[in-house]
Amino acid sequence: MIEVNGLTKVYGAKTAVAGVSFTVRAGQVTGFLGPNGAGKSTTMRMIMGLDRPTSGSATVNGLPYVQHRAPLREVGALLDAKAVHTSRSAYNHLLAMAATHSIPKARVHEVIEMTGLEAVARKKAGGFSLGMGQRLGIAAALLGDPQTLILDEPVNGLDPEGVVWVRNLVRYLAGQGRTVFLSSHLMSEMAQTADHLIVIGRGRVIADAPIQDIITGKGQSRVRVRTDQPDRLHQLLAGRGASIAVPERELLEVTGLDPRTIAAVALENQVMVYELTPLVASLEEAYMELTKDDVEYHSLPAAEVSHP
Amino acid sequence: MSSTTTESMPAREPAPSLGHAGRNAGRSLPGPTFVRVLNSEVIKFRSLLSTLILLASTAVVMVGFGALSAWGTGQFADAANRDPQAAARMAAQGGDLAVSVPTSGIAFAQLILGSLGVLLMSSEFTTGMARSTFAAVPRRLPAFAAKLVVVMVTSFAVTAVSTWVAGLAAVPILDNYGLKLDLGSSQSVKLLLVNSVYVAAVAAIGMALGTLIRNSAGGITSLVGIFFVAPIAFQLIPGDFFKEARKYLPGNTVEPLTAAQHVPDTLEAWQAGLVLGAWVVIPVLLAAVLLKRRDV
Repeated sequence: MIEVNGLTKVYGAKTAVAGVSFTVRAGQVTGFLGPNGAGKSTTMRMIMGLDRPTSGSATVNGLPYVQHRAPLREVGALLDAKAVHTSRSAYNHLLAMAATHSIPKARVHEVIEMTGLEAVARKKAGGFSLGMGQRLGIAAALLGDPQTLILDEPVNGLDPEGVVWVRNLVRYLAGQGRTVFLSSHLMSEMAQTADHLIVIGRGRVIADAPIQDIITGKGQSRVRVRTDQPDRLHQLLAGRGASIAVPERELLEVTGLDPRTIAAVALENQVMVYELTPLVASLEEAYMELTKDDVEYHSLPAAEVSHP
Repeated sequence: MSSTTTESMPAREPAPSLGHAGRNAGRSLPGPTFVRVLNSEVIKFRSLLSTLILLASTAVVMVGFGALSAWGTGQFADAANRDPQAAARMAAQGGDLAVSVPTSGIAFAQLILGSLGVLLMSSEFTTGMARSTFAAVPRRLPAFAAKLVVVMVTSFAVTAVSTWVAGLAAVPILDNYGLKLDLGSSQSVKLLLVNSVYVAAVAAIGMALGTLIRNSAGGITSLVGIFFVAPIAFQLIPGDFFKEARKYLPGNTVEPLTAAQHVPDTLEAWQAGLVLGAWVVIPVLLAAVLLKRRDV
């Protein structure tokens, strides 16, 4: 279990993380989602005691990371695929990490095998592809057989098979009752991996809920209604508590009422309706919706980004 | 390769290794004690080819300069024997030129091993390794201390052994010119030990600079500044202040520490020892404090 309380990190004039609080529970995969520069990595580094918070605190399994007697056996972290000396072989890197906790050589071989690094284990880590670097980082995270895993963008740079492998691995680890906390800026990846989502934008938590709630909650299902009496229907539906947008003449976008209710209201009042389409927000849309005010770097045209 | 690992991973998983994770699993199992961290730093040290190359270069340079210097000293002694004036000058200097032959390459050893000290720490930061190191040892100072021990012990040992081998190479060459070099004499042993301690001190200063500056080029430049530029600059700047200050530069502590008799207008041996000690302790403490405080 990871508990973060009012965590804040200020670099000079820039606030990277602004009073973030959340809890990551054991036995499920918790996604940490946010656009680039949202403060995900900084938050994770603060949890790992590598960056000193300006204020606030973070504990893992009840203790600040620094105070654990055997930190690698408590928490395994992939914070950066390049957290390796480029001239050292993958095997020696893992061996040196293992030595700090008297983790036996057999375990080093085990994690190499688990991550599929056998063929390159004796090669310099500097020559690794991004995907191989990620696998080495995951191997290092698994070394101490930790209860808690913190993985920063683990699928970044992996080929499609690697992505599936990470997805299966984290689901498997969470299934064993471990705490798995992984970040990504890709909503679609989270949709397939995470049980619970914490969405962060500009250093603030925007949403913290089970993934299903995020899809259905924030991207509330809307209904598109075309009618030749928009003013009258608007009035009728608004009277029943719906919120209504009018993108075009004769077109209403209704939030808060289901299509059946809308149809019933129209029929009762003899209003002709010539289109009635439920709009279910994809997770991607929900994410865009959540973070649209919090993206640090907007690209133009922004609309195209949301339709992959 | 990835295709073989994709689906089979959980199946391949040895059950006991990932199966027993209780909430308190980590609390009773071994954590990072100093000895374990030291072992880790030794593995890190010996698994870098560049480190081993620097150590080998030090040995080659020390032995090479020892042999060259033996030859040069022999030539000089020959000339002196034919020239009574030169012989008188030589006698005035204490006569024993041969004894300092084995350590004649020490300036290069200090440059190479000092740079090694810088690199071992700066490369942790430039490669990102520091995040792995300090995630494994979140208290940080044990890792710093262990690395310092590895750097200093290795620098001492490599310098001592290369000095000894340089001496062995120099003895027959000096013998040719009728000069005697006794490697077991107290002055020989003193030179070997003091110079080796000195090079270990330089390596420690280098490591402190690497920790403070976190950049290889900057660290090595600072090291060269202290050991090679400052002594010359201080000599060129007129005025008693710089003449006096020059004595307190770390590079000028070896002569007073190894002199057979005290040379006027230099530090006493004990003063030189304190000065060199301060040059090590102050940067190392500063580096340790900042390493503990700064973000990685």
